[in-house]
Amino acid sequence: MGWWRWVARRAEVLFAKRRVEAELDDELRFHLEMEVREHKRTGLSPAEARRRAMVTFGGVERYKEEVRDVRGARVADDLMQDVRVAVRSLTKQPAFLAAVLTTLAVGIGGSVAIYAVLDATVFAALPYPEADRLVTGRSTFNDGARLGPMLSAYDFYDYRDQARSFSAVGAIAPFPRRSTISQAGEPTRADVVFVTPGFFTTLGVTPLHGRDFVAEEGEPGASPAVLISEGYWRDRLGEDASVVGTTLVVSGNARTVVGVLPRTARFMVDADLWIPVVRGEGMARSRSAHNFLMVARLRADASAGVAQSELDAISDRLEDAYPDSNAGKGIVLTPARDMLAESYRGTLALLAAAVGLLLVVACANVAGLLLARGQARISEMALRSAIGARRGRLTRQLLTESTVLALGGGALGLSVAWLGQRAVLAFVSVDRIGAVAPGLSPSTVMFALTLSVGTVLFFGAIPALRTSGADASVALRGAGKVAGGVGGSRLRGGLVVAQVALTAVLLSVSGLLMRSLQELSAVDLGFNAENLLTAELDLPAFEYSPEERVAFFDDLNARLGALPDVRAVALSSMLPVRDPGNNWGIGLPGELSTPRGRSFLAFQRVVYPGYFEAMGIPLLAGRDVEPSDRDGEPRAIVISESTAERLFGEETSTGRLVDVQGQDDAHIVVGVVGDVVTDRPRSGRGPSMYYPYHRRTPALMRIALRHSGQGASVAAQVRSTLASLDPNLPLDRVLPMEDVVDASASDERALAALVAVFAAVALLLAGVGLYGVLAYQVTRRLREIGVRMALGASVADVSASVVRGGLMLVAAGLVVGVPLSLFVGRFLQAFLFGIEPADPVTYLTVSLFLAVVAAVACLLPARRASRVDPVQAFRA
Amino acid sequence: MARKADLLQGSLDLLILKTLDLEALHGWAISKRIQLLSSGVLEVNQGSLYPALYRMRDRGLIESEWAHTDEGRRVKTYRLTRKGRETLASERAGWRLFADAVDAVLSAT
Repeated sequence: MGWWRWVARRAEVLFAKRRVEAELDDELRFHLEMEVREHKRTGLSPAEARRRAMVTFGGVERYKEEVRDVRGARVADDLMQDVRVAVRSLTKQPAFLAAVLTTLAVGIGGSVAIYAVLDATVFAALPYPEADRLVTGRSTFNDGARLGPMLSAYDFYDYRDQARSFSAVGAIAPFPRRSTISQAGEPTRADVVFVTPGFFTTLGVTPLHGRDFVAEEGEPGASPAVLISEGYWRDRLGEDASVVGTTLVVSGNARTVVGVLPRTARFMVDADLWIPVVRGEGMARSRSAHNFLMVARLRADASAGVAQSELDAISDRLEDAYPDSNAGKGIVLTPARDMLAESYRGTLALLAAAVGLLLVVACANVAGLLLARGQARISEMALRSAIGARRGRLTRQLLTESTVLALGGGALGLSVAWLGQRAVLAFVSVDRIGAVAPGLSPSTVMFALTLSVGTVLFFGAIPALRTSGADASVALRGAGKVAGGVGGSRLRGGLVVAQVALTAVLLSVSGLLMRSLQELSAVDLGFNAENLLTAELDLPAFEYSPEERVAFFDDLNARLGALPDVRAVALSSMLPVRDPGNNWGIGLPGELSTPRGRSFLAFQRVVYPGYFEAMGIPLLAGRDVEPSDRDGEPRAIVISESTAERLFGEETSTGRLVDVQGQDDAHIVVGVVGDVVTDRPRSGRGPSMYYPYHRRTPALMRIALRHSGQGASVAAQVRSTLASLDPNLPLDRVLPMEDVVDASASDERALAALVAVFAAVALLLAGVGLYGVLAYQVTRRLREIGVRMALGASVADVSASVVRGGLMLVAAGLVVGVPLSLFVGRFLQAFLFGIEPADPVTYLTVSLFLAVVAAVACLLPARRASRVDPVQAFRA
Repeated sequence: MARKADLLQGSLDLLILKTLDLEALHGWAISKRIQLLSSGVLEVNQGSLYPALYRMRDRGLIESEWAHTDEGRRVKTYRLTRKGRETLASERAGWRLFADAVDAVLSAT
């Protein structure tokens, strides 16, 4: 522990200096008093005794100094002095200080913010016990055509019951279903998620109150149960623990509350309530409807590899046993943490790369600034070294200055990071389990510290070593007048070229993302989203029979249509973009389940007559659905353009028969409508099929109202209309369609915005860097410029030479930067939409933009050069 | 008055260790004790005692604490640590070896 005592002692010397000094005083005074007393005892006069004592002791101050020396106080004093000198000399040049600190704050802040986000998400362990043993299982299809490859319920049961590699297995259908909850009072809406019993045991989440689902609750005939979330329990049920055992009516079914789950129970989707999946009911009665994500906990003695091969063997058996549904189907295990990060890992990686470039651009600026300062101080350093300052001492002082800058920049950077982390977490959806808490962890602070000290020492050490090694005689003679330190200028020029190149890369990336965003918002949705107010309505299934539902919507449709601000009413089980819903198989008769038949997946909706017209979806052939479709065989169906094309090619579609997955009866195509974007605009328009409402009467319907521009008043009118029909029906999720469409691209927009901010900052830094180099060159060349002007050079000549110098640097930067951007662009493919990574528009714009900014950065120094008075220049 | 001998380089630490081996003492008492034990031959330069004390304390050979004299005066006393005791033993052996060797050379005829 020797080093520890060393540190403690120095800390004592530094921080308890006054106390230590006082104690030393005390001790020495005591010694002298004793000595004086002894001399007095031998009969000396007090004065003589004192004199004698002082003589025997020797100089008090001298020994005090010796004690201080022994204790290393001088090193500490020197350090404090260095720090004081550094702070004083830095504050003497506030512009320089501000420039360096701002640059560091931005560069380090950005990097640390992204690090902090990674730290809170990708690097963080999931909030479950032994979370590294959790894996998720999803289907793989060798035709690669399925959307969201989940497991089917029956496949899940087989994997669960046959696999031996897991200590616990559960499944979740990660799609919250808005449901009407009633419990003694007004009905409310809540998000309900289906899980199998065993899901929370697998995660390792234990209920706050009550119990988890038991295995029997997943089997037919069990009494209906429900688990409630901590949030719902607190907000809606008043945190009353006696709620366990009471009854909650969920979508018309009475269920017993068996427990309250903590916040950590949230997995992938928000949930207010969880309901057990019951084998053979609802979603859990098929091998071909893929709705479940398997979550399993590996046994302590099983590896992921062993588990995967065990599941592969089960998949093979399933394929043999159920060729219709399982041909070419398998399962893939992924560590839970990786699976949860899949959706945002790429985004964060891109942000990290962008912010890394920004940091390098910032470092180049810091290096340039320190270099310039070092050059300006060559004469000062030379003078000090001439009058005897050791080189080590001078270097140390410069390094101290760098460290002070680094710590200041680091502290500012941390504040920027604190804000930045919150911004990124707010705009990029990275939180899939509800456990991501913003905050700067110790590792983040360490990262910031390392980064800032590393940056400044690396970029500060070069100038420090350069200047303190300056030859005194040359430097003193030349002191800032002749073109000494050409090397420094060249180095700074090189830094600017690098900055311009990297800024070009950042701008290009930003440009590509913005162009994609533009393309994305220009996607033809296939319907008109303007002035379209959407909402949803869930008729309690137990109160409304199918006939009553038809009557209800007939009535609602008529009343809504009569509202003064409403131009058209669209009613559908799912609205495009807003509610993707499920896709199901559709095919020519008899070909639906044959592996090579002409069948594929199409999104299915149930629509009320008038839906297509109100939504602005063109009717291409045949007719809309009608009330008369209630009866009649074969059953009527409307298909979208691409569905028709894939089924029938160029042939007429209307009047043809099709088979639909999950329906035994054949359907006859009565109409063909345009394709719409069902999911996110990114996934484009695709095949859909529409059933008439009067035949299949779902209780949950979405309403879309085309209005005259007064969305808010329309919402109020709809509410009162609804209340007049049934006061107990809550109107849920009232949203303008344009907001829904906007929100569907929010991740892309956040990414584009963040990268644009980084690129703008880089551009600013590069501009400042360029300005710095040119301004410095003009200062150094004052004499030369004076001479040239005296010899007849015009103001324009002089300005042009400065601007030319600047533009040469920019041109060099672009020569490096544009090919580099093209190279980088190839990795961006996954983020782009509708444009190529080598998008010429982007590169041309970026280059022009950089050139313009560079020209502006050149102007000030050029103006200054043009104002040089030859007479003044010579005197200088 | 007896003749005085200058302290040999490095022997001050040994003397301090030895003095404190008997009991805890304050600075002035240490200097007096050395004087006394050496029958007045060795006189410690009183000022140089303190840098030595601080150095030895920092090396962990001795430790200090504040005590009060009979008159109620606050005084800093020093005592040996275990490390100091060990050092004393080895230094003493070293000194013996050195002194015997010097003695042997000087008494050679």
